[in-house]
Amino acid sequence: MVGANDNEEFVQEFLVESTENLDQLDRDLIALEQAPGDEERLASIFRTVHTIKGNSGFFGFAKLGALTHSGEHLLGRLRDGKLTFDDRITGSLYSMVDAVRAILRTIETTGNEGDHDFRDLAQWLTAVAAGEGVEPAPPVPMRGETPPAAAVAAPSVPQPSPATPAPEKPPAADRSVSESSIRVDVGLVGSILDLVGELVLARNELRSIDTTDPAVLAAAHRINTVTNALQETAVKTRLQPIEHVFSKFPRTVRDLAVSCGKEVQLSIDGGDTELDRTLIESIRDPLTHLVRNAIDHGIELPEVRASRGKPQVGRLALRAFNESGQVTIEVEDDGGGIAVSAVRAKAVARGLVAADEAAALPDERVLQFIFEPGFSTAAAVTSVSGRGVGMDVVKTNIEAIGGTVDIHSRPGLGTTVRVRVPLTLAIMPALIVRSASERLAIPQAAVRELVPLHADRESDRGGLRIEGLDDAPVIRLRGRLLPVVFLDEFLGLRPRTACRDEGTVVLVRVDDHEFGIVIDGIRHGQPGAAGVGESASLSTVVVKPIGTLLSQIGLYAGATVLGDGGVVLILDLRGILRAADLPAGREADETSPPAATSDADRYLVCRTRQGRRIALPLERITRLEHVAAADVQPLGDRQVVRHGAGFTAVVDADRLLGDEAMVGNAMKLVVLGGDEGAVAVAVGQILDVLPAESPLQSSAVSTGVSGLLALGGMATEVLDVSRGLPW
Amino acid sequence: MVSHVPCLDACSFRVATHCFAVDSGCVAEVLHSAKLTPVPLAPEAIAGLLHLRGTIVPVIDLGHRLGLPSTDAGSGRTNLVLRLGDDCYSLLVDEVLDVQSIPLERIERPTAAAGHTATDAVTGVFAADTRLIHILDPERLVQSLIKQRTTPFVRHGVSHGG
Repeated sequence: MVGANDNEEFVQEFLVESTENLDQLDRDLIALEQAPGDEERLASIFRTVHTIKGNSGFFGFAKLGALTHSGEHLLGRLRDGKLTFDDRITGSLYSMVDAVRAILRTIETTGNEGDHDFRDLAQWLTAVAAGEGVEPAPPVPMRGETPPAAAVAAPSVPQPSPATPAPEKPPAADRSVSESSIRVDVGLVGSILDLVGELVLARNELRSIDTTDPAVLAAAHRINTVTNALQETAVKTRLQPIEHVFSKFPRTVRDLAVSCGKEVQLSIDGGDTELDRTLIESIRDPLTHLVRNAIDHGIELPEVRASRGKPQVGRLALRAFNESGQVTIEVEDDGGGIAVSAVRAKAVARGLVAADEAAALPDERVLQFIFEPGFSTAAAVTSVSGRGVGMDVVKTNIEAIGGTVDIHSRPGLGTTVRVRVPLTLAIMPALIVRSASERLAIPQAAVRELVPLHADRESDRGGLRIEGLDDAPVIRLRGRLLPVVFLDEFLGLRPRTACRDEGTVVLVRVDDHEFGIVIDGIRHGQPGAAGVGESASLSTVVVKPIGTLLSQIGLYAGATVLGDGGVVLILDLRGILRAADLPAGREADETSPPAATSDADRYLVCRTRQGRRIALPLERITRLEHVAAADVQPLGDRQVVRHGAGFTAVVDADRLLGDEAMVGNAMKLVVLGGDEGAVAVAVGQILDVLPAESPLQSSAVSTGVSGLLALGGMATEVLDVSRGLPW
Repeated sequence: MVSHVPCLDACSFRVATHCFAVDSGCVAEVLHSAKLTPVPLAPEAIAGLLHLRGTIVPVIDLGHRLGLPSTDAGSGRTNLVLRLGDDCYSLLVDEVLDVQSIPLERIERPTAAAGHTATDAVTGVFAADTRLIHILDPERLVQSLIKQRTTPFVRHGVSHGG
């Protein structure tokens, strides 16, 4: 016999294997409950318990051995037909599984079996095996994070348990699968992936060798084929079926249903959908939470269901599938749904939204309040809508791994929560873009749209042009003004002018901010010309860390090696958003176009060429322009700038204020629409668009000023444009 | 008494006209004329990124860091790849000289007037036959770069008024 502490490695293996076996036991027991006559299943359970017993003997875990021995005895009598399967027996077997789990956990943390003696449980199992034992099973002390509901697995629950009929088909992780797989160190898998990457590069070099030797060509072709297949296979080694998470749920659902006095039928679909192993771990808790919510609050009590004309047995569906490069996991119940009115009322009560606004919000939007931090912890909502305890935590956890959560509810019919997560964090689809001489990668998950820019201002070809000025360039897209970053200029690669009007805007969304990244123009006519012909291409990249030295720059999330051997930096969009100091942190509607009704209280804040801070009412502004001084022509005592076929009068802001107009090379024009036609006000610098923070104070103001306003925390003079401009 | 003298196995190299050495135990690889990928907006002492069998290695331009303008053309320079704990860094040097055992007792404290600007990373000086070798602590060198951001981040051409 081997001492418990002598062979840590073997003990570790024993723990891992036994834990897997217990999961299998849970599944088998549930299946057996459903089909008590399933001899094969019973035999499988017997074998599993026997294995654990054998191993505990080998490692000298006496308590574990005694307990599993009693269990095995009971199972043996069942197998031999000496006993018939009933709820009491099921309960006692569940208790045994829980006890074994508790002991294993103690062994894992302390290295020994711990003080708790399971002798009473063992005796009780023996009694049950002898056909006696009417008293309830002794409680199983639970350590750590065991689902509290697991305790109710004891057969003290008088109610028979039709609670959880087994999934219609056996879970994908069948016995045979675990027997045909091996455990491999994750680091080893990483090194294999790295080496495959090297091989790909060597293969590319081989391909570029100019030769006509048929033998070499044939060999090169074979190496090429094998390398491709190897790369594909190697990437897959990191992936695990989501079954690893799902497999816990039949038991969780059964226990929860029993403890809530509900009847729930769980169906699991797509357990073989694969996901990176690190992500599998990250979604475990959020999913458990969603399942818990669905049973605890979603699915009604059998009486209630009956009175509503629904089948007594509630339905809970877990589904996983691949969708557009991501994995979607759905948790759907056919319970009472969420009382949208209660959520709406709660949102108003919490001051998240004004009452009249809330009334106008569509239900789908109202449901999103459930994800607000602390929103649903209040008892009022929990008891009324019965949904969403800790949904903010679920959302935070899912977003931390680059995923999204959304919720749909049909009152009285049920709720669906949809979680979308990337396949993996180590490998992700990215847009490889070109800016000046550099290639960079933009994570595709954030990319919303690619829009070409057109120099032609009157273009109606669907493209965009950059509006606004040097300091605050924007694009107008479907009625919204979105800030843009010129990637070349931003990264200091070259002055921005190079792609100002013929690049492509990559529209990205980070957290709640949308902005555009201007990359080099799409050049037509020479597709596929070794990265020169296209400005952007989609590629699946392996993310490599770049270390503190470079991550401290705050602009790069990592780097990747492309198929041609080139190293490409992956942009950290959050970092760019921060560093570029874009007008962020505001509701999207604040960047709405001047035509919007809500512009009444918004002002464009500028600096005149003399340096005075002024504001212009946004509702009067039609566009912003950047012109060279040479474009402004004197016309008599006036100045005009040419616009297409017509002219627009230009008036200097400083002159309006009674100051001298400064002469400069370039100026910014704020074009105002008016009844008598457009007028352009020349200013030095556009600062921002800000909402008024105070009422307009119009007493004691100087020439050309209609009043004073607090804008962005500063007193700002509002240029008087109400009475027409004196030009 | 132990008969042998405690020594530092040092890998020495040349930057401009100066000689430096690091503990040869942390030298992972020496690469000649490797292709570097530039990192926009990185501190100036970062020469770029090196792809070394699946690992992305930041390359430190040692000459720049030490205030010693390189006498060699950029292409002919050598990457001295160091493994520091779990991380890899590469030092861009002009020439790798040799590996030698330097008796610890013959390593002297560095003098302030060494003609370069990284005295904090130089832990000692050893007078070899023909030249002075500065013993460099690569860990401290990297740390000095992490703390001291030589290019404070500024969005080019933009000044935010107000």
